[in-house]
Amino acid sequence: MILKLILGEFLHSSRKQYAIGILALIASCILQILLPKLLGGAMDMLRDQDVSVERVVLQVIMMIALALFMSGLKFVWRTYIQGKARDLDCYLRSRLFAHLQTLPVRFYHNRKTGDLMAYAINDLGALKSAFSFGIVFLIDGILINLLAVGTMFRTIDPVLTLLAIVPVLLAGTAVVWIKPRIRSRFTRVQEAFANISDKVQENISGIRVVKGFVQEEKETARLKEASLERSAAQMNYVRLSAVLSPIVSLCFGASFAVSMILGAGYVIRGRITLGDYLAFNTYLGMLQTPVNHMGKIVETWQKAMASIRRLDEIFLTGNDIRDPEHAGGTPRIDQGIAVRDLSFSYPGSSREALSGISFELKAGQTLGITGDTGSGKSTLVSLLLRLYNVERGRILIDGIDINDIPAKELRELIGFVPQDNFLFSTTIKDNIRAFDDAFSDEDIEEAARRAEVHGNIAEFPEQYETVIGERGIMLSGGQRQRISIARAIIRDPRLLVLDDSLSAVDTRTEEQILGSIREILRDRTGILIAHRISTLKNADRILVLDKGRLLEQGSHDELMAAGGKYYRLYMSQTQESEVYREEREEREEREEPV
Amino acid sequence: MKGKYIRLLRYFKPHLGMLFLCMVLVLIAIGAELINPYIVKMVIDDYIVGQKPDFHMGLMSLSYFGVVMLSGILSYAQTFLLNRMGQGIMHRIRMELFGHIQNLPMGFFDQNSSGRILTRVSNDIEALSEMFSGVLINLFKDVFLILGILYVMFSLSTRLALISLSVVPVLALVTWFYNQRARKNYKWVRSLIASINGFLAENFSGMKIVQIFNLQKAKFKEFTELNSEYNRAGRMEVILMALFKPGTELVNNLAVSILVWACIGSVFNGVLEIGVVFAFVTYVKKFFAPISDLADKYNVILSGSVSAERIFELLDVQEGKEDLDRGEPLPATRGAIEFRHVWFAYKDKDWVLRDVSFRVEPGQTVALVGATGSGKSTIINLISRYYEIQKGQILLDGVDIRTFRLRDLRRRIAVVMQEVFLFAGDIKSNIRLNEEDISLETVQEAASLVNADEFIRALPDGYDEEVKERGCTLSAGERQLLSFARALAFDPSILVLDEATATIDTETECIIQNSLKAASRGRTTLVIAHRLSTIREADQIIVIHKGRIRETGRHNELLEQGGIYKNLHDMQFCRSGGILSFQGVCGEGSALDSFS
Repeated sequence: MILKLILGEFLHSSRKQYAIGILALIASCILQILLPKLLGGAMDMLRDQDVSVERVVLQVIMMIALALFMSGLKFVWRTYIQGKARDLDCYLRSRLFAHLQTLPVRFYHNRKTGDLMAYAINDLGALKSAFSFGIVFLIDGILINLLAVGTMFRTIDPVLTLLAIVPVLLAGTAVVWIKPRIRSRFTRVQEAFANISDKVQENISGIRVVKGFVQEEKETARLKEASLERSAAQMNYVRLSAVLSPIVSLCFGASFAVSMILGAGYVIRGRITLGDYLAFNTYLGMLQTPVNHMGKIVETWQKAMASIRRLDEIFLTGNDIRDPEHAGGTPRIDQGIAVRDLSFSYPGSSREALSGISFELKAGQTLGITGDTGSGKSTLVSLLLRLYNVERGRILIDGIDINDIPAKELRELIGFVPQDNFLFSTTIKDNIRAFDDAFSDEDIEEAARRAEVHGNIAEFPEQYETVIGERGIMLSGGQRQRISIARAIIRDPRLLVLDDSLSAVDTRTEEQILGSIREILRDRTGILIAHRISTLKNADRILVLDKGRLLEQGSHDELMAAGGKYYRLYMSQTQESEVYREEREEREEREEPV
Repeated sequence: MKGKYIRLLRYFKPHLGMLFLCMVLVLIAIGAELINPYIVKMVIDDYIVGQKPDFHMGLMSLSYFGVVMLSGILSYAQTFLLNRMGQGIMHRIRMELFGHIQNLPMGFFDQNSSGRILTRVSNDIEALSEMFSGVLINLFKDVFLILGILYVMFSLSTRLALISLSVVPVLALVTWFYNQRARKNYKWVRSLIASINGFLAENFSGMKIVQIFNLQKAKFKEFTELNSEYNRAGRMEVILMALFKPGTELVNNLAVSILVWACIGSVFNGVLEIGVVFAFVTYVKKFFAPISDLADKYNVILSGSVSAERIFELLDVQEGKEDLDRGEPLPATRGAIEFRHVWFAYKDKDWVLRDVSFRVEPGQTVALVGATGSGKSTIINLISRYYEIQKGQILLDGVDIRTFRLRDLRRRIAVVMQEVFLFAGDIKSNIRLNEEDISLETVQEAASLVNADEFIRALPDGYDEEVKERGCTLSAGERQLLSFARALAFDPSILVLDEATATIDTETECIIQNSLKAASRGRTTLVIAHRLSTIREADQIIVIHKGRIRETGRHNELLEQGGIYKNLHDMQFCRSGGILSFQGVCGEGSALDSFS
């Protein structure tokens, strides 16, 4: 529905260009029909004693002028109609992206990036095709058929014309009948291709197992099956698709063979001129192309309709995290955060990711959260960032219900360091300032210093202008983490949240970063989520989550004294840090083999 | 650049006979296509104009239809045969490439993303196939058609032929101009598409960050810039095409007009038959059609040749390629492992192992202890020869492992990794992998030995249960048990275990501990251990630190020694007077009950 509106909007705003393009297309079709008549006339003149040379020359000049004019018109409709199709493509891509930006994180949770890419690539591509040659072939095909048949009927001979219509109908029916069958065979080709991709992907991801158990040859044999299936599918497809064009030729050939006898007789008996006869032959040939295209036109529009339905699905998806109608006031996080009997299940899941959580965090204090994977640590943070709606229980920030705070304002208060340390493939500078020009180079450097990453950045040849990612420098996990910490603190947030962000750095670096984070947290509120207890043992208060429930809470000493899960976690984790402590004491020397 | 075409041509070698047959078919089909305008010419000149009494109009008409039919059948046969040949070649390239990749060393997979390798085997070969079936097959025919038309035109009338061809230089110029611009533009368009797709993929996967940091506006602006540049490039493509296509058509019509002009007078004088003029008009049109189509095919050829280049580039990677069959056979091994002064670095001189020496006697269980990054996993990698060491020697039964056939060496060693990889397929095929000669009994035996049998039987389809989405439906512990069963089903002499940790709950951990004990019975076993409780009973404990062996000995010896190990042990076990032993926490029976 929405897409139809957009199409209406787009088509409406460019109706002039479309009018010009379609008029040019119609005019060029008419000229194309006139050309064989001119040529036929010229042929007649060549034989006619009574026609002066000047008359023939004039005819030839007319032919050239017509051809020139026709090519001009073709240029016009190509640039207008096909150019507009490009505009439509870009317009829709832009609308799609703008819409996707408004969709909640939940939407992305359920979909693979690859599937979303398919919308932007395949579905927009299908619409582009429909609006470029889909439109052109449709108009062109119908016009050429009507005009050619009309001209033949009017100026040449009705009987011959009937002979010309029969193959059009016959071949057309054959094409429309065979085409869907070809398409289903083509689907098999695509499936066979997808199968190969899956097999190869699996093989490469599991290459260690493959090598470890010497499965290389067996794996190759397995791929061979898939590869042969791909070939078989292709041949199955070719066997039918290669039949299409000969069938059309055959229909027209039969008609031509019959009209040849009939037409020749007519010429001899003087019913039509030789020129007419030749023009008729040309018209018959002209009809063949649109018939050949018929299957493709139908297919293009079918694909486009399917794509419209798929895109509609996205455009109709709304954001259920709506900003409140009456904002409850903007918090400053100067009182604190209170969580009351909070329960949460992910949409579509019956399992409770959080159940009955209650705790308080006073402004200026630091809260630590630990627990196994899947215990609900990250879910809690997602709720605090309003990535999901709070429905059961409440989260209060400075006494204001989180549902009454506009998401944008809330998020501006929070500096978030994500678990996966997602960075954009652009310069380090843009990553740290998060594309916000308001931050000066000094601000950026200061943030990097506090995140203990300035030293690393200074070593890169282009320093803060260094591009990250595949087309630039590959950063280590620890460097990525520290840049994403810098990104969080440059905004001088009231609340700093680190979602298990220190797991990839070694303990020594961790301690350095923790030192500066402690400094940063001195006058603000903080939440540290960690698997590793060493990260959060200095927090004012620590929550231990287990399968969505709050198992224990208290300070490090209290929890150690309690001897519960926290104690056990701490015990099993200390071995590694011990080794590192020992490592620090040791002088580092670079040893070389003798 | 030129090399890749020659290299591509080499793949046609086994199909030379077929290629020859196709050429014959093409030549006949082209002949047929060229005859028909001539039949029309005869009808006009001999029947209509000449009114020869012995002219069989019916026969002419019949032969016209016969020729259409023949050319239809031939073109079908030709398309079919060429496609079959093309598929044969694609299959060969694909298998060659995949087989090549299978034998590339581990280091190659460390350096190249799986997406990149995948693109070579799937998309690039597909682009090649597209180029072959969509373009080359027609190109082949077109070239011969053009040659055939030239022949017929010149034999009909040299003068008219020359006149018709007078526009060819113009056409060549137009085509050249178009190709120049189109190639450049194509590159521009491709790189923009890649940028847009990259941008979208990044933003989709990072949408959470975009929203948390309120980056929507900034990102939309960036996107709009990319998008409108893509629009400019796309519009340029349209304009180039809009110039070229009608342009060639104009040249075509011009040729026809010139032809008519040139015939003024000569037809009337009887020098030229009118049918010949019409035949020329038809031939000229047929002559120009393939050239005009070239524009459509151009992009396909371009992307196909880029793909060919990338495929050959990958095929040329020879560094460290493994040969499974080189070396001495290793039918059985006692399982004595020895490292002698091994130095190893993944890159240059960043030594990961420094002068490591140790011995493992047959049947012993040896535990490797150390912090993350200390080099434990590297030692495991080296025993299976995933990487080549720079200095020193690794010996198996007293012989350097480099002398053995890789195939035999790796079959004697089974590695159970921390990260379990499951394949698409059922449970049993995940245990025995592709080895059909490992019987179902062996599979079940292996599974029950590691306590996996019970949970497998509890699945709806038991051993035939499909493993979906790389085993997401199974718990981490169950996946780990499957990988134990896999290792045992291959009956290795040496078992290497990279112990699974943290994410598994305590009960499952207990089952895995017990399975581990069962698995190591009668085998040389190397364990990387995080929990010291699992290694207390090891025959030898090796403490590695920063790539060096720091301590070796049995549990009690190391405790007495009072070094790193003692330190670790104290930290983990002895606090507030209580001893935390996992064996103590769960008995075997209770653990199994709670698991199922």
